Formats: sequence, structure tokens, C-alpha cells
Amino acid sequence: MNRPLAEFVDMLRYSNVPVSIGEAVDAARTIDLIGYSDKALLKSALSQVMAKTTDEMVNFDQCFDEFFSINTELDLGEDLENNLQEEENIDPAEQVSESLNALDENSSPSGAPMGGGAGGGSGDTDQSGTGNGSTSAENDGSLLSMLERADRTALTLSMTQAADAVGLSNIVLSTQRGLFTRRIVEEMGLSEVTREISNRRKADDETGAEELDRRLGILFDAVRDMVERQLALTSAGKSLEFRQDFLKKVSLSNIEHRDFKVMRDMVRKMAKRLTDMNSRVKKVKNRGHLDIRKTMRRNVAYDGLLFETHWKQKEKDRPKVYAVCDVSGSVAAVARFLLLFLYSMNEVLPNVRSFAFSGTLGEVTDLFDRYGPEQAVPEAIERFGGRSTDYGRAMEDFRDLVMNEIDNRTTVIFLGDGRSNGTDPRVDILREIKNKSKRVIWLNPERKNIWGSGDSEMNRITPNCTVAEVCNSLNKLELVIRNLLKTN
Amino acid sequence: MTVIDKEPLSAIEEIQSRFEKSGYICDRHIATSIYLSQKLDKPILVEGPPGVGKTELAKATADLMDADLIRLQCYEGLDESKALYEWKYGKQLLYTQILKEKLGDLLEDAVGLEASMDKLHTFGDHFFSEKFLETRPLLKALQSEKQCVLLIDEIDKSDHEFEAYLLEILSDYQITVPEIGTIKARTKPIVFLTSNNSREMGDALKRRCLHLYIPFPDAERERQIIKARVPEIDESLRNQLVEFVQQLRTQDLKKLPAVSETIDWARTLMLLHAENLDTELVRNTLNMLLKFEDDIDSMDPEVPKMVAAARKVNR
Repeated sequence: MNRPLAEFVDMLRYSNVPVSIGEAVDAARTIDLIGYSDKALLKSALSQVMAKTTDEMVNFDQCFDEFFSINTELDLGEDLENNLQEEENIDPAEQVSESLNALDENSSPSGAPMGGGAGGGSGDTDQSGTGNGSTSAENDGSLLSMLERADRTALTLSMTQAADAVGLSNIVLSTQRGLFTRRIVEEMGLSEVTREISNRRKADDETGAEELDRRLGILFDAVRDMVERQLALTSAGKSLEFRQDFLKKVSLSNIEHRDFKVMRDMVRKMAKRLTDMNSRVKKVKNRGHLDIRKTMRRNVAYDGLLFETHWKQKEKDRPKVYAVCDVSGSVAAVARFLLLFLYSMNEVLPNVRSFAFSGTLGEVTDLFDRYGPEQAVPEAIERFGGRSTDYGRAMEDFRDLVMNEIDNRTTVIFLGDGRSNGTDPRVDILREIKNKSKRVIWLNPERKNIWGSGDSEMNRITPNCTVAEVCNSLNKLELVIRNLLKTN
Repeated sequence: MTVIDKEPLSAIEEIQSRFEKSGYICDRHIATSIYLSQKLDKPILVEGPPGVGKTELAKATADLMDADLIRLQCYEGLDESKALYEWKYGKQLLYTQILKEKLGDLLEDAVGLEASMDKLHTFGDHFFSEKFLETRPLLKALQSEKQCVLLIDEIDKSDHEFEAYLLEILSDYQITVPEIGTIKARTKPIVFLTSNNSREMGDALKRRCLHLYIPFPDAERERQIIKARVPEIDESLRNQLVEFVQQLRTQDLKKLPAVSETIDWARTLMLLHAENLDTELVRNTLNMLLKFEDDIDSMDPEVPKMVAAARKVNR
């Protein structure tokens, strides 16, 4: 696989298009087949090989455009190109006379400034400098000579090589821009050029020095441009990755509002993964293979003539989950994500019923059916949140609502900090629920060492649950739900 | 197979023009995908809204390659016994009953259970031979000598298990039957999978396929399609009706009208000897395009405006 393709694959991976090795190999074969000449065709072909969903297709399009636009006019910023172009155009015309002049007079006050902003007045007085320099360093490939000759191709090549050498593709943060720019120019041979400039200054060749300085400035601009673009390519993806890693671990109640969107996507992704892992837990009936043993047994009545067939059957129940969430204050943030998680998994958890309480308790399942999890959570918090928490009251309400529907296949998840403001948390009801249900899971966003302190009733609650766990980050949440599915 | 042996560009163009001749209008993207799938030996996963011609593409390709089309319609609960093979249990049972006496004769001279068993073993596994094997689409596609196009339609309707089951056939063009062994494709079939995205396909499956997304066509393409499919229709009416449908697709509807619906509508208008779109006509035939009562109701007040806009096209 060639280098540009490898870079392109890297870039796609950062932009949320997970290209597998196999797909990259296919892409290489596709390029072999089609070649680089017809860009539209190449794009349409590669998109089919590398992007496998419509979302990925959008990202792919963007990456392709960015990537290939860079590669063609490679890294030579417009300014440099234009400026040098102009200089080159001027060069041959005046070269002969100028270079001759340059031998006797150091400063030739020749005319009109050109080359836009970068050069300023020192415009084409440069020829003197050019003459001086190029006599010594004509074709040795150093940065100095390239600048003197205004050799765009060589400069571009050298820039890319230097960028590779300093590992520009690893740039992640915008604060690294300056560093990388400097490193690249240094790699290209900055020291030699600065030495030459100061030499000229010492030798009173002010215009020559200035001109070289100007050209160096243009080069810096071009390199900065290149770095900027590379940063745009990689950092968006990478920094999102960093952020997501961080968000998985951070306490849910500390997550800022602006991160909710990222969180939602993450929850959805996690839920999907769990769904995929568990979706095989399904009912298999009247299909698959003949169950010989059962068929024989069943047909004894027909004198051993195998008359009635019987098929192997597998039945596996989907867990029935009741989620009871405290939606007051700090717990609400966790509740939001727990509910979002549970409802994102409706393929494997079709029987989730949810209840919210702070003072009184009510069922919010219909909110979820109607609005979907994203709108429903704030709605539920609005409806039931904001009052002082009363676990005893909530337990009573829960008992009245659904106690007789709880059976030995039901999992009840409580989410709350167990701080009941001094009221009786009615652990007797909790015990009753535990006896009737398959299990009771209590999730508490508080750290374990403050359980039982102050008005926390966790010490009374814990013995009446199957498990009581700390749950304050997305990682923990995933773990809990993973276990929930595994043991069913 | 001559088409794809040419230079890529001309091959793709040829595919496109040959499709066009057979009445399937497509853009270069689709033709590229056919070309690539042949060159890379990869199945194509075709996605897109219903009615944009995903299944048609497979049919057109079968036509183009002069291959048989073998179609497997997926549904929830589809398993290998319906898709790949099944033992003819009935036949097996029937034969054991009929051969009961025969067996008695054969085992006559054997003394004792062990000797009878030994003798039985010498007969071989007749009941699990290919004679008792009912072939289903997948197996048929593998066994076919002639090039064939295997269309696995609406793969998203099948279960995860079945999707996993397909992986072997998709990557290696072979399938393993426990009782018989591995069956390799005699001629590699051209495989199409279509999906309406009612559920996301697994990564493993997507990795093995080219991904082709067919969106609704633009006005120009749709006019070509109507021209190919309903050639009798008058040009001005064709432009108008395509414009109208294009407008409908920008609306917020439960189900957007697809190409197949446009074709049906064009045919309807032909039957009614319409020459121009008018409000009354459109209102009466709107149910050809929109398949939900809510959609029809919500569009009803918009019809005059949209008809007027559609009629402007010709001017």
C-alpha cells in the first residue's frame, strides 16, 4: 500500500470512518484498477469500498475532498506560489543586466514594489541578492539555494519531506502549531539561511538580507498553512476521541451541558454494542433441526411410525426491567443517562418500564414511548423532580402501582442516593420487592465511603438488595447493564 | 464477461449504456459499483429508500451478464433450512418405512445385533446423501455451473444469526454443511444484498461488501427513467409529473414517493389520457403516489400550488 493511501486511511479513521485492513487492501486494489486520473470516478469507487454507512459516506466525501485537494497543489500556499511566480517571471527579463549590476553596486534602487503584502518595498531589488547567493550555492539542494532560485517544486518537496521527518501527521492540539512550523523549517535548513542573512547584514548587503528574509517569511507562511491544514484534518477526530475517553470516566453529575450531545452519541454507541452482543438471546421455535428424540417419543402412540415431527426449540426470555429513578438534584444527571441507556436498547430490552420520583412516584414509560428518550428525560424530571426526596413515599407508591406485576423474571433497578431527608425509607417494602422479583439492583451515584453518613439510609437499604453498587460514570453504567444482560 | 475486461473507464461506460438499453437508467456511481464488484470479487450491499430500484439493479445485472437470477427473500425467522438446504425428512421417513422389509432381507444372514450393525455400516449413509438434500437458493447459487446472480433481498429483515451465517458465503463463496462437508461455488455468483435500513447491518457483513447507496434520482435522471419505462408518455406531461414528484419529495411526508410510484403514476395518467397536470386530476390520482392517508390529507391543500409550479417547467 502506498503512502498517500495509508495517510488517507488514517485520516478517515480519525473522522469516524472505521476502515479495516481488509477495506484498505480493497482500496489499494481499486486504485490499481482505476488510477488517480479521474478524480470523480476514484471518489465514487473508493466511497463504495471504504464507507459502509450513509453517515460514513458524508465523512468520507469531506475527507476525500480535503485530502486530494491538498495533495495536488501540495502545500505551496497560494501566496508563495504567486509571489515566487512573479519573481520568476521577472527574473529572466532582468537577470542579465541585474546580475551584472549586482557585482559593482550592492543596492540597486530599482522600481515598483510587487508581490503583495509579504514583500513590501524590497520588491525586485532582490536580484542583487539573488546574484550573490546563487553564485555560491547554485544547485546543492540546500534551503538557501532553493530560496534563492525560487524553486517551487524543490521547496514543496522539501517541505513534505521535512513534515514527514518531524511527524507532522501526529499533530493534535492547536497549541502545537508554532512548534511544528518551526521544526519543519528547521528541518529544511533554517539555520543556514539565518546565518546567510546575518552574514549579509554584516557585509552591509541590507537589501540582499531583507530579500532573503522576505522569502523566508513566505516560506514560513506556507509551512504554517500546511500545518494548519494537517491540524484540521487530524485534530477534529483525535480530540473528539480524547474527549470521549475522558467523558466515559468522569462523574456523570459533573458533565457539562455542552457535552450532552457527545454523551448521547456515546450512550447510543455503547447501547448498540451491547445490543449486538446480546441480540442472539431470542426465541427460536419451530425451525432449525429435527429433534429425533422427542419425535420418537411422541410417535410411540402411532406404533413407532414417525408421523409427527418435533423440532428443536430454544426459548430465552428477555429481561423485564423496572427502573425506578430518583430525579432530584444530583441524581437526575445519572438518571438521565441510565434511562437513555435502557431505552436505547429496546431491541434486547423491550420490556423496560420506568418510574420517576422525588416526592411522589409516577410511571414515565408512556413519556418515553411518546417522545423518545431524549425529550422524555427532561420531561420526567420536570414532572416529578424538584421536590424533597421521600423514599418511603416512593416505595409506597411503587408498591401500589406495580407490586402485583412483579414476578420472578423481573429485575428492579433503583437509582438513588438513599438520602431520605429523615423519613422512613420503608425498607420493608424493598424487602418484599426483593422476595418477589428476580433481583433488586441499587445504584448509588455517591462514593461508597459516604454511604450511611448523614441522612443516607444506604446501610439499611443495602441488605435488602441483591446488589448495591456505586454508579457515577458512563463506564460503570455500561458495566451494570452488561451484567444485567449476561445473567438473564 | 467481456464487458469488464476492458479498460476501467470504457468498461464502466459500457455497463452504463448497456443498462440503459435494457431499460435500467443508472448513473456512473452504480455502474462503477458493478465493475468493482466484478474486479474485486465482492458482493454489493445496496441500500436506499424503498422503490429506487435496488432489486431492479440485480435483475438488470443478471440481464447484462446473461446470468440466471436466484432470489432469496429474507424475513424474520429465515434460517439455513430455508435459505441453504434441508433434509427431505418426509422422504427419509417414507423410505425407511418402505425399505423396512428390504432391510430385514438384507440382514437375514447376520446373527446377533452386533453382526447386523456391522452389516448395516457397510451400506453407507444413503439417507444423508445428496438425494435427500433439498437445495435452497444459496446452495443452488453455489452449485450452478452457469454464472448466476444471487439476490439476497432485504437482508435487514433477517435475524442476526442468519447474517452471521452468510459471512462464509460472502467472503469465500463456499458454505459448510456439517453432514456433507464444504461446498465451494462452481462458478462464483454475483451477489447483491439489499437493505432498507430497518436495522443496521453488522460490521463483519459490511466489511465483506461494497457499499452502494442509491438515493432518489434527480429530476433529469427521473425523466430518463420515465422515458425508458413509459415511452408512450408525452414529453411535456413527463416533465410536469417528474417535477411534481420532485416537489413532493421535499415535503415532510411519512413515506416519500419512490421511482416505482412515479412510474405507476405515469402509467395511470396515460390510461386517463391526460395531457397536462391539473389540480383535479392530481387530487384524484394522488393515492398512486402517497400511501398514507395522513400524507394525502396533508398534501391536499398544497396540490394547486405544486401543480402550478410543475406546469411552469415546460415554459
